[in-house]
Amino acid sequence: MLEIQNLHAAYGKVEVLHGISLEVPKGKVVTLIGSNGAGKTTTMRAISGMIKPASGRLSLNGIDITGMSSNKIARSGLAHSPEGRRVFATLSVTDNLLLGAFPRLTFGRPRGDVEGDLKRIFDLFPRLKERENQLAGTLSGGEQQMLAMGRALMLNPDVLLLDEPSMGLAPLLVEEVFRIIRELKSRGITMLLVEQFAAAALNVADYGYVLENGHISVHGPAEQLKNDPAVREAYLGAAH
Amino acid sequence: MSWINKISIVLAIIVAAVLPTIWPNPYYVHLMVIIGIYAILLLGLDIVVGYVGEVSLGHAALFGIGSYTAGVLHFQLAVPFLLAVPASIVVTAFFGALLALPALRVNGPYLAMVTLAFGTIIQILINEMTFLTNGPLGLSIRKPIWFGHQITGADYYYIVLAALVLTLFVVQRILKSHIGRAFEALHDSPIATDCMGVSVYGYKVYAFVLSAGIAGLAGSLFTYSEEYISPNTYNFELTILFLLAVIMGGRKTRIGPMLGAIIIVMLPNVLSDIELFRTISTGIAVFTVAYAVYAVTTRQGTVRQMLLPLLVTLVLAASGYFMENITEHRLTIFGVMILFVVYYLPNGIMGFLRRIVLKYRPQWIHRHEIVAELGDDAHVWSVPDHPVNASGYLLEAKNILMQFGGLKALNEVNLQITKGTVHGLIGPNGSGKSTMMNVLTGIYKPTAGKIEFNRKNITGASPSSIAAAGIARTFQNVQLFGEMTAIENVLVGLHHTYRHSLLDAVFHTPRCRKEKNAARLRAASLLHFVGLSDLANEEARNLPYGKQRLLEIARALALNPSLLLLDEPAAGLTAPDIKELIAMINKIREHGLTVILIEHHMDVVMSICDTVTVLDFGQKIAEGTAAEVQSDEKVIEAYLGGSVEAA
Amino acid sequence: MEILAQLIVSGIALGMIYAVIAFGYQLTFATSSTLNFGQGEALMLGALVGLSLVGYMNYWLMIPLVLIFGAMQGVFVERVAVLPALKTKSEFGWIMTTISLAIIFKNVAENIWGRDDLTFPSPLPTSPLQFFGIRVLPMEILVVFGALAIMLAVEIFNRKSIYGKAVVATSNDRDAAGLMGINTGMVITFSYALSSMTAAFAGVLVAPLTLTGATMGVVLGLKAFAVAIIGGLNSGMGVIVGGLLLGIAETTTGYYISTGYKDVPGLFLLLLVLAIKPAGMFGKSVIKKV
Repeated sequence: MLEIQNLHAAYGKVEVLHGISLEVPKGKVVTLIGSNGAGKTTTMRAISGMIKPASGRLSLNGIDITGMSSNKIARSGLAHSPEGRRVFATLSVTDNLLLGAFPRLTFGRPRGDVEGDLKRIFDLFPRLKERENQLAGTLSGGEQQMLAMGRALMLNPDVLLLDEPSMGLAPLLVEEVFRIIRELKSRGITMLLVEQFAAAALNVADYGYVLENGHISVHGPAEQLKNDPAVREAYLGAAH
Repeated sequence: MSWINKISIVLAIIVAAVLPTIWPNPYYVHLMVIIGIYAILLLGLDIVVGYVGEVSLGHAALFGIGSYTAGVLHFQLAVPFLLAVPASIVVTAFFGALLALPALRVNGPYLAMVTLAFGTIIQILINEMTFLTNGPLGLSIRKPIWFGHQITGADYYYIVLAALVLTLFVVQRILKSHIGRAFEALHDSPIATDCMGVSVYGYKVYAFVLSAGIAGLAGSLFTYSEEYISPNTYNFELTILFLLAVIMGGRKTRIGPMLGAIIIVMLPNVLSDIELFRTISTGIAVFTVAYAVYAVTTRQGTVRQMLLPLLVTLVLAASGYFMENITEHRLTIFGVMILFVVYYLPNGIMGFLRRIVLKYRPQWIHRHEIVAELGDDAHVWSVPDHPVNASGYLLEAKNILMQFGGLKALNEVNLQITKGTVHGLIGPNGSGKSTMMNVLTGIYKPTAGKIEFNRKNITGASPSSIAAAGIARTFQNVQLFGEMTAIENVLVGLHHTYRHSLLDAVFHTPRCRKEKNAARLRAASLLHFVGLSDLANEEARNLPYGKQRLLEIARALALNPSLLLLDEPAAGLTAPDIKELIAMINKIREHGLTVILIEHHMDVVMSICDTVTVLDFGQKIAEGTAAEVQSDEKVIEAYLGGSVEAA
Repeated sequence: MEILAQLIVSGIALGMIYAVIAFGYQLTFATSSTLNFGQGEALMLGALVGLSLVGYMNYWLMIPLVLIFGAMQGVFVERVAVLPALKTKSEFGWIMTTISLAIIFKNVAENIWGRDDLTFPSPLPTSPLQFFGIRVLPMEILVVFGALAIMLAVEIFNRKSIYGKAVVATSNDRDAAGLMGINTGMVITFSYALSSMTAAFAGVLVAPLTLTGATMGVVLGLKAFAVAIIGGLNSGMGVIVGGLLLGIAETTTGYYISTGYKDVPGLFLLLLVLAIKPAGMFGKSVIKKV
């Protein structure tokens, strides 16, 4: 579904990604883990077109999306729930969700049942339904995260990128986020997940990649990575 | 300065001095005087536009203030030339401060508009304050009489030349001093500049006042050159001409403003002569076509890139043959020139020439002064500028609340940092660690709470005053002065060790030289300490990520802090580098500094921190020794998220 | 007292014009953090094109054509001056290029319509109406309602249509809007079209009340900027209040002190607001993240 070959990316003159290759098969959940500064978010941004990759090839559904602008990539069926949530603070919850479906409401994606999907998102996130007319900027951190995920889902994406969905959330809410990710997985949504909580991410994922200083150091089925001593030592918390 | 430079400067002055004997025609001499006067103003304008990076649309007005100060003093009070000129400088500098103090609280487009408003007000005032300025009728002034000799136009040329050489000298000395370095630093990264104890606001005002003073000098010289001044001279068009001159000549150079002055003085003459205009515009078009063909055939540019400049120059050349009178279209031509310069010559003529030379003779270009000093272990450390008189806690933050909209990034956090310890601050991403750093260093003003540092209340103080009080920091997203070399970055951190004044810098007094040498030795030693000696003269932006982080540590240490805040110093470092970093932090502690360390690499935190505070969701959830914290249930849960039971 | 009331009424009409131009500054600033330094020239071109058109048709038919012209002029400014500078992230660049386009427009207008001020025929009766002894020109009433109408129209568009919401989303967070499939480059171009369109509209509204000419835009643009700053660059209510404040300050200064000084209070107020509260009286200050 999503294929990345030898991706390089840089901020200014400093190269951050030195040739990343990974693959997200249809219907699977793939996770990308690694320490801070390893380049996880940069990888996500390069995939969704927020930054232009220096070289490498990206393809979605067999279509080459390398170097496309982010709005074209979104219309090709890739939704990205960015790090830090980035909800539209001065718009209502409903408007935020509708904007997630912008290509469906205008052009670029088949319209389908937008109103029905909106209802289904509210079923998935009942907290959002309660606050549908509230401005997104006034939501709590956890609610904003739900909104960011819901907004990305409104695209009816072929692939969903989730960048640090648990960031800055209280433990109970982190659990809630992972419950939703599992729920989405059971609905067959293809996902690429970046997480700081490596153990939790490997629990929900089918396959994992470990990013170290801009390289993929290890990759393999999630089960296998979880038991890999080096990965355990580095990312699952040395104490356990 | 090499002897080649010295000789060429002397030669240039000699050539300038003999020019009036080659072209004795008073008209040409007058043009050269105007070029000199504009060059003086532009040297000053370049401080604001080139170095500080702000657009000033108020320089025509400052020029006018200088002109009118001299004019009014002469006309109303018969003040002699040699008093009127310095008075103009002082008065204009004063007006510069009057404008800068409110205006420089904002930047970019705001500042541009405000300076424009200032220009408009000044023009109105000159027009309306008839009792002083004689209003639209203008003022008449005679050139001075010295020792019974009436100064002629040719004599005046030498006065202006002397003023120009003097201005060049002074501006050059200032820009090469620590003051000039502060100007460049604040353009590169204002936040880092403030956190190095160099007040961005203060230095911007400084630059603006300097620039205004120079504009005042140019203005007063202009008054005596023209012998008649009226309000309409100092209009928006003149401001635009000045800006065009600075960017076309080349910013951040001394020759650029002079080239720019020649261009804008000659331009109206070219435009008043349609034949000359046709020749020149055709010449430019031919050159552009030739360059485009060259660029496309050597694959330096694509046809599409070349299309627009080609079209513009061809249309310009063709229009010369259609127009009867070119003066009417003068402003359009200025406008097109600005567009052209902004897009195709962003670094001006000097930048363009420099790029060509750089390609064929790179050894000729020295963008940065090479600092050859080698550091040693003896000069790494120094005592803090403010002695630590707190005992026990060096820093105490009480009930810090930081709210962004509905989000409480920090919720009633208390933090006590014991003197002489390494205090770890950990927590998952987004838990508020970096917000805490920003609150402690004054970048954010906390919504509520109190911070005491070294027995002083620093709540709500500005970043630069907090830095000066002894708190230095590094940044999670590296904030180096990218266009400066590594050693220059450290020298900005050493800014506080320069106690000499502007005049010391201009005259290179022994005091100035002594401080300069001491700072260089210290900077080299700090680079030696972090292991960057061999990269001292490399531009910071070209360093690898890990080295950039080390350079930030060296720069922070230059501040002689008593408290050092390190924000994820290990991010992007390889395993052996991390070992060195740990050794480095231990040494920093041995020298009596207190350290707050934000870090994700648990091995780093566990091996060097005396105390660890854990933040989660903006709240302190645990505190204690590394071992205590590591076995705390809440911490484990926070770090592993919902996975504890699932795992 | 009656004179003061009279001055306030005339100030209101003038203030609404400032508000509309300031509103135009807000539109582009919201989407791209850029301002058109030639906003006043957009107004001037609107007024002069309108003047040429009323020779062939009536005032009301001319307005839609001027709106179209204004939008096209805005697109031109964005493509030539703003887009390339946004690509290179050069603030200095767009400031300089919009200024240079402004002086080109002014110069071209001088060469087409001449340097002298022209009179714009009023579409409404020029005899004032009397309300409690205060005289109000019908055109002044039109200015107030026209200005409110166009601001309201843009506001409704932004709140109700999906394209309008896309504009708001782009103002909130350009990168995130791109991830929604919104072509933010088009949104910025569109905001310039809208901004110049409102300015051109303001031009044909104000023209019958004042003299029309190539130089009319410079001071109007500058004072409207003062209004945008005084009111806050992100507050719709702010520009109306700021506009009225400035308009009234100007008419009263002109009467009680001297017409020569009438531009001074606004510009002075601008300096004052920046010194005290740079975000404007109604603006929210934004905390920069490090």
